[in-house]
Formats: sequence, structure tokens, C-alpha cells
Amino acid sequence: MKRRWLTGRILSSLGVLAAVLVLNFLLFRIMPGDPVSTIIDPNFSPEAKAHLRALYGLDKPLVQQFFIYIRQMLTFRFGLSFLSGKPVWDELLSRLPGTLALMASSMVFSSVLGIWLGVKAALNRGKFIERLVLRAGAITASFPGFFVQLVLLMLFAREFPLFPLRGSVSVPPPDGGLTLTLDYVWHLALPVFSLTLMGFGGWALYVRNLMVRALGEDFVLMARARGLSESRVVYGHAFRTILPPILTILLMSVPGLVSGAVITESVFSLHGVGTFLLEAVSGHDYPAAGAAFYLLALMTVVSNFFADLVYGMVDPRVRIEGENR
Amino acid sequence: MSSFLKRKSVIAFIVICLAAIFAPLLLPGEPSRVVGAPFARPLWWNLRLPANEEFYCDERGLAFDWDKLPPSVFTLTGRVTADPEETVEVVWVTPKNEFTLATLSGQSEYWLNLDARDMLFKQKLGLPLIGSGASRLFPSQGSYQLRLDGVDSANLELSLPGGRTGLLGTDQRGRDVFTLLMYGIRTSLIVGISATVIACVLGLAFGLAAGYIGGLTDALIMRAVDVLLSIPTLPILMVLAGIWGKGLWQLVFILSIFSWMGTARSVRSLVLTVRESPWVEGLKALGAKRSYILWRHLVPETAPIMLANLALGVPGAILSEAGLAFLGLSDPRLISWGRMLHEAQSFGAFTEGAWWLLLPPGLGIVILCLIFLDMGRWLEEKIDPRLGGGGDD
Repeated sequence: MKRRWLTGRILSSLGVLAAVLVLNFLLFRIMPGDPVSTIIDPNFSPEAKAHLRALYGLDKPLVQQFFIYIRQMLTFRFGLSFLSGKPVWDELLSRLPGTLALMASSMVFSSVLGIWLGVKAALNRGKFIERLVLRAGAITASFPGFFVQLVLLMLFAREFPLFPLRGSVSVPPPDGGLTLTLDYVWHLALPVFSLTLMGFGGWALYVRNLMVRALGEDFVLMARARGLSESRVVYGHAFRTILPPILTILLMSVPGLVSGAVITESVFSLHGVGTFLLEAVSGHDYPAAGAAFYLLALMTVVSNFFADLVYGMVDPRVRIEGENR
Repeated sequence: MSSFLKRKSVIAFIVICLAAIFAPLLLPGEPSRVVGAPFARPLWWNLRLPANEEFYCDERGLAFDWDKLPPSVFTLTGRVTADPEETVEVVWVTPKNEFTLATLSGQSEYWLNLDARDMLFKQKLGLPLIGSGASRLFPSQGSYQLRLDGVDSANLELSLPGGRTGLLGTDQRGRDVFTLLMYGIRTSLIVGISATVIACVLGLAFGLAAGYIGGLTDALIMRAVDVLLSIPTLPILMVLAGIWGKGLWQLVFILSIFSWMGTARSVRSLVLTVRESPWVEGLKALGAKRSYILWRHLVPETAPIMLANLALGVPGAILSEAGLAFLGLSDPRLISWGRMLHEAQSFGAFTEGAWWLLLPPGLGIVILCLIFLDMGRWLEEKIDPRLGGGGDD
């Protein structure tokens, strides 16, 4: 039973991955003009042009190009960047930890804060904290994240210079493991804070709605009637039933988180995959842009898959549902 | 309907639309026109700062009193005629000292073009090369004088763009921020509304197809929805904007093909319930054609959802457009709020502490989004009274 469900999830993730690969391939092949026009000077001799096209494999038929491309993507051999001439994968690999750290920490902080506030709001209906949660959820949805980040930068990096204005690490980087780590944390503090600020509202609103419904259920009344302590009723009974939907929202928040990380890295000039993507797109370095996009999509697919797995473990109903599919 | 018109967000929306239409007609000049010094503060911000001052000067010279902080720029341009035998001296007399701005001889006509930002000019006057030359030419409050020695006639213009201009100051190129802000409304509204309309039409088409035809079509469309929903949108929008150009309509197109999924889902689920309802069954029994049922009964049935989706979708499109423009992936000639924020970040608004470049476009985006969210929520409540208002669940 469980194995069938697992295969289904793996197949579905592979399906999304295949769609991403095809989309990525098509994007760069159907664009107007020549993919190598940025590196080929119109004044080059026809032989030189042909040589360059052969170097990038653009002289082969489209179907063959597609299979070569698939092999490259699956083995992470993205070739050389048009702009820097360095291997794209090395560059991406050096940037991946920064992006992952930003995404993971902001996800943890915003979800923990949001869940805590959401539960509090559900327990204190009509009080200040509930109004705060309801407002925060609506308002954060209409604030552009980068605007909030710019304001934070102006306040806490310029007016009151508590945090650095840009970069992932001081220049030159400080010596010693601990100081270096602290320096990274110091540079990451404001970006993570801003993403948490933008993210907790949605979580809180969602958890509050789920929790309000859960607290109205009969089994909560029953638990109360049995004289269980309030915290036991809330966290041991009501909260446990809303755990699966919380994991769903965790799953659904990943694509948005990637988008948020990309723009955050640009605002704070962090060394990450997002800034790499932006530089590649602005510099018409399409192989590099394609690789960065692929990596970001891959991150989403993988985290979705893991969220699915955890969901399956938490909610026994999932298995039955999977069986019926 | 009357309650709709009384809603504050609707009034605000009408005001904003009017501003978008009429402001470009009412505001003087093109938005790209330079109206003052770069990074000039808003007029009302600090009254001690000088506003823009211009003086005309003939052969008798010029004298005036100055009681403000120094201006940000000092330029003297125009024509001077004199006897070729005579030496002409242009002298700037401040309350503390004198500067000989120019010494000319040997011609009967001279064209002056002096700028206190010019390195050679600063060097000649012995001013420090770094920093504003204008502040050295205005060392204190008091009476100032421009003296022309040995000229026959002069037609000079002394231009002193001050530290404050316009309602919301100026940007790094000296353009008026208020004018830019007003022109920016248009871009946000056009992109936000048209991208959402296209996305809604796409969503309606796919939702109807999936729900009504069912089978393989349904499976394919819903699979595509799942895939598109699980791909991060911003990276793909960035790549598309980079490849397909950055114009307004390209942006609209790109945004709309990645935001129809939600509408398709809700239309599909509505069609699935309506399709099985007794009256559709009845129509079928009466021999109604499939297309007739679809167009005359199912499509009107989706109208309320479509309206709410339209209003609720606009903020997303506005935010995406602003995000792309902020990343510099929009046409530089197209004035938009995102572009203003991009320029604020790229061209040193931070080192200047230029909050007036940051807050107006950012808050503009926020307000516009809140307006659409509020209208959308109102429509949703009308459609589904169970949702109730705000806190009382």
C-alpha cells in the first residue's frame, strides 16, 4: 500500500521535473534570434561562426540537441558561462549554500512564528492578537517584499548602521571559523528578518483558521469534558489534527519562497543562485540562466517531494487516498 | 450596486483611475524633463534649503541677498560682448571673499558656460575637487554680487537649482518624482488589469474545457496546472523577460501565461458541480446542444467567480510587474513604480538617504494592491455569504 503511494509520488515528481526540463529547453530554443548572437560578432567569418555553433552543439538537429541537453542537465554539466568563461556548475555550487541557508532559515522562522501566533489568535478570539493576525495576513500579502527590504535597509543599514548594506560576507572576510560564521550570520540577519516579516502573516492567518475549526470539533469538547489540561487539549488534540494541512501549506510555500529568495538576494546583493540568475539574464548569458532556473526548479521539486513524504507519514488517510488513485 | 459605490476602496480606485488618465494631461512637461538638481528634497521638507533660483544678469551685474543653505548646483551661462582690447573679468563676490570666475580677452564676443561641478573650473578657483563647488561659492548668508568688469553688454543666466523641488523632490537625474509617480500609476494599472483579464480568460477556457469535456483533456489540463503551480514563478518570469524583450505588452503576455491556474481550478470545480445538476440534465433531455449549454448556462454561471478572481488577481500581477521592473528587467523608457525603485537602488538613493524616491512608489504599489484586494473580497462575500466579514468567522 505504502510502496504504491511512494511510487506515485516519485513518478509525479519526475513528471514535474520532466516538464521543467522540456520547458527550459524550449524557452531557449524558441527565442527570437540566434542563441549565440551575444558571443558571435556579426563580423566573424562564416567558418568562425560555424565553429562556435559546433562548439555549443547548435549545428545538430533539434531532437539530438534535446537529448544532449537532457544528459547535460541530469549530470549537472552545464558547460561554460558565456560571460565569465568559467564552468557554470562550479559557480552555482559556490552559491547554493547561501541560497539554501536563506530559504531554510526564513522558512523556519516564519512558520514557527506564524504557527505560534495563529494558535494564540485562535485561542483568543476577538482580542488584540487575533486582530493583529487577521490584519497581518491581509497586509503582508499586498506589500512587495523588496520594498519592505529597501525600507529596512534604509533604516537599519543607513540611518542606524546596525547591519551591513550589501554582500554575504565582509570584504575582506575575517579570519577564524567562528568570526567568519558570525559574519555570515550578521549579513544574513536582515534578509532573513525581512522574509520572516513578509511570511509569518500568511502562516498565522492560515493556522488560525484551521485551529478555530479544530477547536470547535466534538473531540475537543470531549477532551475538555475529560478534564484534560488546556495545553494538552490544544497541543495534544486540536493541534495534532491540523498538522497535515500545515505540512501542505509548507509544501505549497516552497515555490514562493524560491521567488522571494531570488529577489531578496538582489536587494541585499547576496552571493546566491538568485543573483547569479539575474546577472545571467541581464547579461544574455542564456546557458547560465537556464542552468540557474533548472537548479531553482529542482530545489522546488525535491522539497515538494520531501514534504509529500512527511505528509504521508503524519496523515494516515493519505495512504488510503493514494490507493484509490 | 449602490453599496459597492459607497465602499471606500471603490472610491479610491476611481480616484486613482482619474489620476492615471488626467495627471499626464495636467502635469506640465514630459516626465523625463530635468526640473532641478539631482536628489533634491521635496519642497515642503526643509524650508532652510533653497528652492530653484534663476537670475538674469545684464552688463550692470547682479546683486541679491541669500538667507538659505547653499544651492546644490551653480551654473552661469550666456553671452558677453566686449571691446577686444579690454580684459573682461567675471567676479563673484560673497560676504566673505571674492572669486574671479572667468578672465577673458582678445575677442569681441564670449560664450560663458561655467559649472561649479566642473573639475577644471574648481581647480581654477582653488576649490576642493571633491564635494560640491556650489557650497564653497555660498559660504554664508548675506549679500552676494556678480560683477562684470569691462563688458559692453551681457546676457547671462545664473541658475541655482536648490536642494528642494516639487511635491516629492527629484531623482538621480533631476526628474520630478511626483510626475514620475503619476505616470507610474498607468503602467501598474495597465499591466495589472490586462494581464489579469487575459489570465482569467485563459483560466475560464481551460477550466471549462477541463470540467465539461473531462477525460483526457481534464487530466492533461489539471496536470499542467499542477506543474505550473509547483514551479517557482519569478525565475521563469525573469528568464522570459530576458529572452522576449522587456516592453509593456511582452510583460503583460508573460505575466498572464503564468497566472491562469487558480482561475482554471475554481472554474473547473464549479463546472463539475453544475454539470451534474438537475437543470442541466433537463436541458440535455430537451435536446439542447452542448455548445448552447456551455455558452448560455455554464459561462454566465461562472461570472461571479470570474469577477472576484479578476479583482483578487490584479495585486499579484502588479506585484510581479513591480518585481521584474525592480530587478531591472523592464524597458528603461517605461516609467513604472518598480522601475523607480530599481533606479533608486541602483543610482545611489541610499547614500543620499533619498526616502522620497523609495516611499512614494512603494506605498503606491501597496495602496493599489490593498484597493484591489478589498474590492475582490467584497465581491467574494457577495458571491458566498457564508464567508462573512472579517473577524466573525
